[in-house]
Amino acid sequence: MGVALLMIFLISIPFYATDYWITLLVQILIFTVYASGWNLFSGLTGYTNFGLAWFIGVSGYASSLLIADYQWHWLFAWPIGALFISIISIGVGVILLRIKGVYFAISMVALTEGTRELFGTEYLEPLTHGGKGVPFVAGISLATLYWSVLLLAFLTILICYKITSSKFGLRLIAIREDEQAAETLGIHTTRAKIIAFVLSAFLTGLAGAIHFTYQNYIDPSFGFTIHLTLTPIVMTLFGGVGTVFGPAIGATLFTFIHEILWAELTLLYMAIFGGILILLILFFPQGVLGWMKEKGILPKIRKI
Amino acid sequence: MGKVTLRLENMGNFIETLIRGLMLGSVYALVGMGLTLVWGVVGIVNIAHGEFVMLGAYFAFWSFSLLHLNPLLSVVLAIPVFFFSGTVIHKRVTERLTKAPELSALILTFGMSILIWNLAQFFWTNTYRSVPYLTGNFPFFGLVFAKSKTLSFFLALSITAALFVFLKYSKMGKGIRATSQNPEVALVCGINTMKMRAVTFGMGIALAGAAGAIVSLQWVIFPQMGASYVSKAFAIVVLGGLGNIQGALAGGLIIGVLESLVTQYWSAKMAQIIPSVTLLLILLFRPTGLFKR
Repeated sequence: MGVALLMIFLISIPFYATDYWITLLVQILIFTVYASGWNLFSGLTGYTNFGLAWFIGVSGYASSLLIADYQWHWLFAWPIGALFISIISIGVGVILLRIKGVYFAISMVALTEGTRELFGTEYLEPLTHGGKGVPFVAGISLATLYWSVLLLAFLTILICYKITSSKFGLRLIAIREDEQAAETLGIHTTRAKIIAFVLSAFLTGLAGAIHFTYQNYIDPSFGFTIHLTLTPIVMTLFGGVGTVFGPAIGATLFTFIHEILWAELTLLYMAIFGGILILLILFFPQGVLGWMKEKGILPKIRKI
Repeated sequence: MGKVTLRLENMGNFIETLIRGLMLGSVYALVGMGLTLVWGVVGIVNIAHGEFVMLGAYFAFWSFSLLHLNPLLSVVLAIPVFFFSGTVIHKRVTERLTKAPELSALILTFGMSILIWNLAQFFWTNTYRSVPYLTGNFPFFGLVFAKSKTLSFFLALSITAALFVFLKYSKMGKGIRATSQNPEVALVCGINTMKMRAVTFGMGIALAGAAGAIVSLQWVIFPQMGASYVSKAFAIVVLGGLGNIQGALAGGLIIGVLESLVTQYWSAKMAQIIPSVTLLLILLFRPTGLFKR
């Protein structure tokens, strides 16, 4: 009931809100998908993905190029971009998910950095326009964009909810707690990890495609920027790792904090962000939802 | 006859590129050895490692431009200053993470890196700076080398030698190696492992700071420069095998030579991809590193 009322309210927003508020909500929703997508894989399996920007950038590039160079309609370009990154992620997942722990995190950073450099070289210039970037106009109204991303965010949270309360979700959590033990219990850990990885790639990739349509521009340093990896992680940590609504709560709070900090302290904004990350890990590792569970505001167990 | 001289010139060019690569690699090795030391002994993957290289470079820059200090002196001074800062950071912040999962440390040092380079950007702006101390080239058996790079090479090698001697023969060095091999047994044998970890963290930071001061002699410095060093350092650590100091030295030289060769014979842009590609290939095909311990 509450969810239905919230949805009706969110759907009706473009009819009376100003463009400023719609833009802000678009940002919140896009980052909700990024954070939930990161959480879906990393929060559940414990494999820290430091290459979220790679999902976002590759999919953003694919869809932007389809719109800019091949005059595709955005409605078709977005899912193709997301499918493209999902298919590549299958290959990458099969190869990289053999690597454990910290090494996996670093190899994802290396993959992102390598792809960023590669997209800027003269060899890929005929395809990616090199370092000049790709400016384009998709001809989509702000309201339509808002509704699309709202639908995506809703579906993402729904998928996360379904997964965490399913046997598949439990398998992923078993991998996080003890991968060897999970394997001994007969869980096909590699397959579970790859499925979660690819699903995460698809959802964040779709959001990435929408993100760059909304920005009307993509270039290597912009599409693969470390912020696109960092910000969703901070949001998830703040809301609560491994929870369903944590990433959405984190995304909402942080977008508002961003708005205030950006306006007041443009130059120090990133430094404050880094400081918050340190303090979160040291003093608040369980996040908002974890804290509420500890205090007994939320129930500690959930029916599956 | 013409062909032969041409070939000799090519050969000279090749050797020059190779030696330039070794000079470059010696500095990378310093950064990589610091990272591998901290990772192997303290168990913390310091993503902010490159930021200490940047701070070291600014340390040399400011002591040169404000205090007119000889950059060679600031390389020497950087070691105790960064060592002390490193131990303080470890006691205040990272020591709390020894029991926490490895990934907490990863995210925390990630935050530290963002914090440091953004503060540097805020206070020192994005201006590219350099230390105009030793400029110009000198001929050597028909080859030409930059004076500053040659000096850097010898500085980096001396620091590396000092590190090896310290770890091998000093009492504390033995304690550090024991802590790295088996912390529990080391503790039982009466080694203060907590102190060893703090000292090692300080040494890692000191190596990064000294490398930064050396870097300022030959390249431009700016707040975001740490990122390229840390990605090279990760490739070096993985090449050499985790916690393997000699391996890191060899890895640093390999990365330096590769970068120099690719820049000379292919393109400077492709040289930027080397650390990422090396890292991915090694992790996939030889995850324990190139060398057996």
